[in-house]
Amino acid sequence: MSEKEAEEMLLELKERAELMVDLAYSSVIYDNINLAEEVYELEEFIDVLNDKLQRLAIKDVKNEELEVNDALAMIQLAICSEMIADGAREIADVELRDVELHPIIKESILESDEVFVRAVIAPSSVLKDKKLKDMELASKTGMWIIAIKRKGSWVYEIDKNTVLKEGDVTFARGVREGIEHFNALMEGTEEEI
Amino acid sequence: MKEPRWKEAEFEEIEYEPTSIKELLVEMKNISELMVDLAYSAILFNNSDIAGEVKYLEVHIEKLNYQIRIMAMLAARTTEDAEKLSGILQMAEATKMISGAAGDMVKLLSVKLKHPLLPRILKESDEMIKKMVVGGDSAAVEKSLPELHVASETGVRIIALRRGNRWFYSPKDVALKKGDVMLGVGPEEGLEQLDKFLKGKVGVLE
Repeated sequence: MSEKEAEEMLLELKERAELMVDLAYSSVIYDNINLAEEVYELEEFIDVLNDKLQRLAIKDVKNEELEVNDALAMIQLAICSEMIADGAREIADVELRDVELHPIIKESILESDEVFVRAVIAPSSVLKDKKLKDMELASKTGMWIIAIKRKGSWVYEIDKNTVLKEGDVTFARGVREGIEHFNALMEGTEEEI
Repeated sequence: MKEPRWKEAEFEEIEYEPTSIKELLVEMKNISELMVDLAYSAILFNNSDIAGEVKYLEVHIEKLNYQIRIMAMLAARTTEDAEKLSGILQMAEATKMISGAAGDMVKLLSVKLKHPLLPRILKESDEMIKKMVVGGDSAAVEKSLPELHVASETGVRIIALRRGNRWFYSPKDVALKKGDVMLGVGPEEGLEQLDKFLKGKVGVLE
C-alpha cells in the first residue's frame, strides 16, 4: 500500500471511531434508539476497513514493500480500532435492549438540557441546497449539526460552507427547546429560520 | 528517573465519592472520545507526549469505573433494580474496552515502531499536535483562551486542558493557571509560538 493509502485509511478509521464513540454514548445519555442503530452500521463499516488494512499490510510484506515489524504494527493498529468499535457497539447495545434503564439513569437524562437528534432533510425543506453559514442554523435553532450521512457515506467535517442536500441524515446536538424548530425545518413543515 | 504520571496515578488510593450518575456518564463519554482522538493522533504524529496522556487517561477511566460499580451496587435493592442497572455496568465495561484499546494503540509507538509509521504525513501535513505547559512567568496566567486570541493569532485549536487530575474538554471559559497542560493541534509555527508564549519566553501572542 502506498503511504497515501495508509494515511487515508488511518484518518478514516480515526474519524469513524470517534464518531462511533460519540454516537454510542449519546444514544444512551439522550435515550435515542436511532443513534444506537447508526452505531451498528458504523461498526460494520469499520470492520471492513480494518480487514482491508490488514490484508494490505500482509500483501505489502509479501511484495517486500513493507518491513515485517511495520506490517505487524499496522495489523495491531487495526485490531485496536476494532476493539474501540466493539466497545462502542456494546454501549449502543445498552440502548437497544428491551430492559428499561434504571430510574436514576432516566431521571438524570431528563434533567439534562442538552439533546441529540437525528433528522432527515425532506424535499420541501427550506434548508435544502443552502450553505450553513447563510442560514445561521446554529444560532437560530440552538442545534449544531455534528455529522451528516449522505447516500450511505459520512461527512464529519462540518463547517460554515457545508451545503445540506435532500435526503441527508443530519445528526445534531443542542438545547431541548431547539428540537421542535429544528425538526420542523428539516421536515419542511416550517419555513422560517 | 521520574516515574511517568500515569504510573504514579496507578497506585493512588481510590476513595468513593458520591457523584451523580449523569456526571459520571458524561465524564466517561468525554474521556473516551478524547482518548480515541489522542491515541490515533499520537500514532499519526508519532508523538510520545500524547501517548503518555493516553496512558494517564486509561488509569483515570479505571477509577471512574470503580465509582460506577460501587454506585450501581448501592442502588440495587431488588432483582428488577439489578436488571435495570446492569446496563450501566455494561457501559462501564465497554468504556474499559475502548480505553484499553486506545492504550494498546499508543504502546505500538514505544515498542513496535522504530520509525514513524507515516513519515509522509509528518513532512507534508501542515498540522501537528503538541503538549504544552503554562509557565508561572507567562502573560497567559489568569487569562482565558478567547481573551488571548489563541485561535486567531496562532491557528492552534486546543483540544483539551488538564489541571492536575482534572480535564476540561471545552476549555473556553477557563482562566489559565501555572502548570496547566494543554494539548493543541495546528500548524507547527503556531504551536512553537504558543509554546514560547506559555513558557513566558515571549510576552505577547502575535
